[in-house]
Amino acid sequence: MLLSQDENLWYKDAVIYQLHVRTFCDSNGDGVGDFRGLTSKLDYLQELGINAIWLLPFFPSPLRDDGYDIADYTSVHPAYGSVQDFKDFLAAAHNRRIRVITEMVVNHTSDQHPWFQEARSSRENAKRNWYVWSDTDSRYQGVRIIFLDTEMSNWAWDPVSKSYYWHRFFSHQPDLNYDNPAVREAIWEVMKFWLDIGVDGFRLDAVPYLIERDGTSCENLPETHEIIRDFRRRIDAAFPGKMLLAEANQRPADVRAYFGNGDEFHMAFHFPLMPRMFLAVKLEDRKPIIEILEQTPQIPDTCQWCIFLRNHDELTLETVTDIERDYMYDEYATDKAMRINLGIRRRLAPMMENDRRRVELLTGLLLSMPGTPIIYYGDEIGMGDNVYLGDRNGVRTPMQWNGGWNAGFSSADPERLYSPLISNPLYGYQAINVDSQRRSAHSLLSWTKSVIQTRNAFRVFSRGSIEFLNPSNHRVLAYVRRLGEEKVLVVNNLSSAAQAVELNLQTYKKHIPIEMFGRNLFPRIGDLPYLLTLGPYQFYWFRLRRI
Amino acid sequence: MKEVIIQGLSQAYSNLVHMFAEFLPRLLVMLVIVIVGLLVAYVLKMILRAVLHVTRLDRLSEEAGASRFLRMAALPSMTELLSRSLFWVTWLGFILIGISVLGVAGLQEQISRLFLLLPAIFIAILILFVGLVTANFLSRAALLAAVNAGYTSPKLLSWSIRFVIWALAVSMALEQVGVARQTVLAAFSIVFGAVMLGLAIAFGLGGRELAREFLERNLRDKKKEKYEEPQPL
Amino acid sequence: MAEESFLADDFLRQLMSVGEVDLIVGVPTYNNASTLGQTLLSVEESLRQNFVRERTVILNVDGASADETRQLFLHGGGRSDTVRNGLTSLRTTHRISCEYGKAPSQGLALHNIVAAADLLRAKACAVVSPATTNLTPSWVANLLRPVYREGLDFVAPLYARSRFQGLLARDLLYPVSRAIFGQRIREIYCEEWGFSGRLASQCLEKDVWREEAVRARPEAWMAVTAIGAGLKCGQSFLGPKIAPPTGTDIVEIIRQTVGNFFWCMETNQAQWLSWSDSQPVATFGPDHELSLDGIPPSQEKIFELFRSGVGELEPILASILAQDTHAQIKAIALSDRSKFHFPLELWVKTVYEFAASYHHTVLNRDHLVQALVPLYRGRLFSFLLEHADSATEVMETQSEALCQEFERQKPYLVERWTAKR
Repeated sequence: MLLSQDENLWYKDAVIYQLHVRTFCDSNGDGVGDFRGLTSKLDYLQELGINAIWLLPFFPSPLRDDGYDIADYTSVHPAYGSVQDFKDFLAAAHNRRIRVITEMVVNHTSDQHPWFQEARSSRENAKRNWYVWSDTDSRYQGVRIIFLDTEMSNWAWDPVSKSYYWHRFFSHQPDLNYDNPAVREAIWEVMKFWLDIGVDGFRLDAVPYLIERDGTSCENLPETHEIIRDFRRRIDAAFPGKMLLAEANQRPADVRAYFGNGDEFHMAFHFPLMPRMFLAVKLEDRKPIIEILEQTPQIPDTCQWCIFLRNHDELTLETVTDIERDYMYDEYATDKAMRINLGIRRRLAPMMENDRRRVELLTGLLLSMPGTPIIYYGDEIGMGDNVYLGDRNGVRTPMQWNGGWNAGFSSADPERLYSPLISNPLYGYQAINVDSQRRSAHSLLSWTKSVIQTRNAFRVFSRGSIEFLNPSNHRVLAYVRRLGEEKVLVVNNLSSAAQAVELNLQTYKKHIPIEMFGRNLFPRIGDLPYLLTLGPYQFYWFRLRRI
Repeated sequence: MKEVIIQGLSQAYSNLVHMFAEFLPRLLVMLVIVIVGLLVAYVLKMILRAVLHVTRLDRLSEEAGASRFLRMAALPSMTELLSRSLFWVTWLGFILIGISVLGVAGLQEQISRLFLLLPAIFIAILILFVGLVTANFLSRAALLAAVNAGYTSPKLLSWSIRFVIWALAVSMALEQVGVARQTVLAAFSIVFGAVMLGLAIAFGLGGRELAREFLERNLRDKKKEKYEEPQPL
Repeated sequence: MAEESFLADDFLRQLMSVGEVDLIVGVPTYNNASTLGQTLLSVEESLRQNFVRERTVILNVDGASADETRQLFLHGGGRSDTVRNGLTSLRTTHRISCEYGKAPSQGLALHNIVAAADLLRAKACAVVSPATTNLTPSWVANLLRPVYREGLDFVAPLYARSRFQGLLARDLLYPVSRAIFGQRIREIYCEEWGFSGRLASQCLEKDVWREEAVRARPEAWMAVTAIGAGLKCGQSFLGPKIAPPTGTDIVEIIRQTVGNFFWCMETNQAQWLSWSDSQPVATFGPDHELSLDGIPPSQEKIFELFRSGVGELEPILASILAQDTHAQIKAIALSDRSKFHFPLELWVKTVYEFAASYHHTVLNRDHLVQALVPLYRGRLFSFLLEHADSATEVMETQSEALCQEFERQKPYLVERWTAKR
C-alpha cells in the first residue's frame, strides 16, 4: 500500500470503505453486527486494498433513522459493543494502516437525547435555547422539505412544551440551534472525545442546514461557514492530520464554499457526479459526466472531492433536472417501491441488472476519476437489495460472507437478525458471498482487489489533474490523468455495443501506451489520431511512457 | 457534191450506229449493275435491319437520348436510319460503278473525284443535321423564354437565332465539301458584318428616335411591367 | 474496379462518430448564413422539448456555399446555451456537416440525407429549409412526430395560406397528383417534410439520383415512391406559409415541379394507369387553412402574357394539344378580358394532353413543360377574375370541384397516354 509522503494529506490517497458496524459481522450471536465482529474482518478489508473505513453512526439511538438520530454522542450503542470495543477496533485498524472516519451528526439529535429532553421540559430550562423553537409554524416560510415521503412540514409540535420545534429531517430529529455558542462548545467537546481516542476524521452530516434565517432557504448560509472554520481551527491546532468530510447534497458551485480557502472542510462529497455516472451509462453518452465536471469549480490544493457510486442512502436525484430524474426513474426504478424521497433505493449490482461488465465499468470510473473513491460495503461482491424493507433498509442488509448459516454474518437464529438476508437465487447469499468469490481469481471480488491495487500503485489517480479528450464518438469517455511526468490515459466505452474511437493524442506524441492490467505495449502514438476499439462497456487504463 | 453529202451522211450514220453499237452493251452492263446494286442494297438493308433489331439498337439509342434528336429532326428511328443509309450508300456506289463502266471520257475522273468527296459530303451532312437540330432546339428555347418573360417580338428573336445557326451550319457544310470556299466565307462575313453594321447605323444614326423608343419600351416598360408573380407554391 | 461512392470519407467518419440515432433533422444549405442561426435554434429547441430522450443528429448538407454557412453551422449559429440546473439537455445533440457537390441541388442534398438515415438506422427524419424564416420548434416536431410515434413513412406539410397564395399548388399540382397517384397530399412540393428510415432505405436503393427531375425537386418523387411501395403517407399542419424574400420565377418553378411531376408519371406509369379514386391521408392538426388576407395580385400583365403566349407558341401548342383543345384555347385567348373564363374542364384536358405529349416526347420535354406556362397564366387570370371577392369557402368548393374534374377525366388521360403515335 502506498504511504502518503505528506501524512496530513492521507485522505487524498485514501480508498474509503463505507459500512455500518451493525451490518458487517456479529460476534456474539445476537443477530446484530458489532465492533468485535468488525475487528475480526479487518484482514479481509486489508486484503481488499482499502486504507480507510467510514463508519455509519454507532452511537446510542432509538434507531428510527438508522442511527442518525443520536441520543448519546460519547458512547457506543450496546448492541454494537462498548467504547473499549471501539478502541480495540481502532487500534487493530491502525495496525493494518487503515484509518477510521466516523460520523458526526452535528445538525440534529434524537428527540430522546438528554439535551432535548431538558430543552422541552420547560421554556426556562438552561438548554431550552439549544434547539430552534417557535410559537407558530410560520417562520422560515418556503424552506424545502427534505424527507418528502414522510414529512409534511419542517416544524413539529411538541406537546410537552406546547410549541413548535424546527427539524429539517424526521420530526423525531430536532435541529440544534447553532446560534447558541453553548451548542458549538458542546459539539466541540464531542469531537474532542473521539479525536482523543484516535479517530482519524469525521463525516459531518447535513452541514448546509446548521443555521436558519428568515427570508432565506436556510441552507448554505454564511454563518454556517464561520462555524465550520471555527471547528477546523480547533482541530488543526489540537489534532493535526485529522480530516473533516462534508455531507452537503448541493450543486458543485454551492459545495465549493465548504472548502473555504482550505480552512473549512478537507473533503466534500461530489453528489451531482454520482447520478450522472449512472445516467451516462444508460444514455450511452458521456455528456452528463463531462458537463458536471466542467461546472465543478477548482478547489484548494489541500482539499479533495469524495466520489462514490452508492451509499447507505437512496441514490439522490436532488441535483439533476426534472427530465433527468424522470429518465432515471423510468430506467432504473421502474417499480415505484424502488423510489424514495427524490431518489432510488437500490444497490449497484441490481441497478446494473447484474451485468458484470457495467459494474466493472462504473467501478473503473470511480477509481480513475479525480477524487477519493468510496466503496459501499457489499458492492465489491455485487450484493443485491430488497426494496420492500422500508425506508433505505433495503441497501443495509447483512454482509454476505459465505453460503452457510446466515451467510456467515451471525450465529443467531435467522429470525433474530436485525434485517433479513438477501436470499433470492440471483443475489442471495448462496450465490453472492465473499468465500466463494475468494476462491476464484476471476470473480468480481478478485477483480475489484486488483483494480484497487493498480490504482493505489499510481499516485496520479489520487492527486493528478484531468484533461478530457472529447473524441467525436460521444459514447466514449476518455481523459488523461497527469501528475508531473506520470500520465495515464483512461478510455471508457459507455455503450452496450462495440465502439471505435479516434483520440487526438498529439500532445503525447511518441509516448508508448502500456495497458495497466496486462502490462502489454500498444502502438506508439504518432501524428495521426489514435484509433482504439473497445468491446461493450470495456475500458482501458494506459500508462503513457516516453522512452 | 450530192455524193459527198450522201457519203458524209452515210459515214456519220455509220459512225453513230457504231457508237451506239459500242455504247449499248456498256449501257446494258450499267443497267445490270444498277439493278444488281439495287438488289444487293436492299438485301443488305434487310440484313442490317434484322441485326440491329436483334441487338436492340433502338433501345440503346433511346437510353442514350439519340432517338429524341432524331424525332425532333423528324427522322425515323436509329435502326431505320442506318438501314436506309446503308441502302442508299450501297446503291449509290453501284450506280457510280455503273456510270464508270459507260466509259464516258472525263466522267470516270469525275466519278473518282466524287468518291474522294464522299467522306467530306458525309461530314457536311452531319454538320447540317447537327445545325438543324441545334437551330430548332435553340430557337424554340429562345421563343419559349422570350414569350414567358413577356418580351415583345419573341418570334423575331427566335428566327434570328435560327437564321444565324442555319447560316453558320450551311457555311461550314459548304466549306467542308470545298464548294466555293472563298465565296462562301466572304459572303458569310459580308452578310453577317452588314447586318451588324446596319443595325449599328440604324440605331446609332438613322433610327435614333426609334431606337430610343424601342429601348425605352423594352427596358423601362419591362421594369414597370416587372410585376410580382403571385407566390405559386 | 470498385464503383465510386458519393459519400465523402470525412462525412463517413462523422457518421461513424455519431453512431445509431433515432432522429435526423436534415438542413440543406446554400449561402444561408443570414438565416441559419434561427433555423438551428428552432431545431435544437424542438428536439430538446419534444424528443428529450431520443438520440438525435442535425445534419447539414451544403452545396458549396460561398459564405460562412458551414462554419456557422459547426461552430456557432444558434447554439442555445440556456442552462437549466446546470445542464442543457439529456443527450449529446450532434451536428455534422458535409459538402455534397460544387453547385446546389436539392436532390443531391437529399441523397446524402437518406444515406445518413440508412447508415445510422434512424427511425424518423425531417428536412427543413433555412430559407423558411418563420420555422418554429413546433414545425420540426410536427414533421417528426407522425413518423416517429405514429408510424407514417412520408409526411408532407400543411400551411395556413392567404387566399391568393400557392395557386400553382392548389390549381394544378395538388389536383393532378391526387388524381394520378390516388393520395390527397396537398403540398407534395414543399420545403420541409418528414420521412421514415424505412422509406429512406428504399429511396437510397433507387438509381435515379442523376436524373434532372430528381435533382431539382426530390420531395414529390419521394412521396410517389412511398405511395408506390404501399407505405403510409400523411400530412401535418405547420403554420403560416411566408413568401420568400426574393421574387419567384414562375417559369423555373413550373419547369421544376411540373417537369418533375410528369417524370414521376412517366417512371411510375405501371402503377397509376390502373388506379382510379383518390383517398384522404392521415392528417395531423387542421387540414389546412385559407385566410381572407392577401390582395389579389396585379392581373393585366398575366392576361397579356397568356394571350401573347397562345399566339406566339401556336406551332408548339399545335404539336402538343389535340386540335379541338387548341382551338378552344385560341378562342378564349381572343375573348374580352373582362369576360375571360378558362373553364375547369378545358384546363384539366390541357394538362392531361400535355402529360400525354410529354410521355410521347413530341418535342423536347423541358420545352414542352415551358410551353405550359402561358396556359397556366391564363388559368390563373381566370381564377383571379372569378375569385377577386370570393369567400374562402367558395374558393375551397371550387378547388374540390377541380380535383373531382381531374379524377373524372383520368380515363381520357389514360387513353391518350397509351395511344400509339
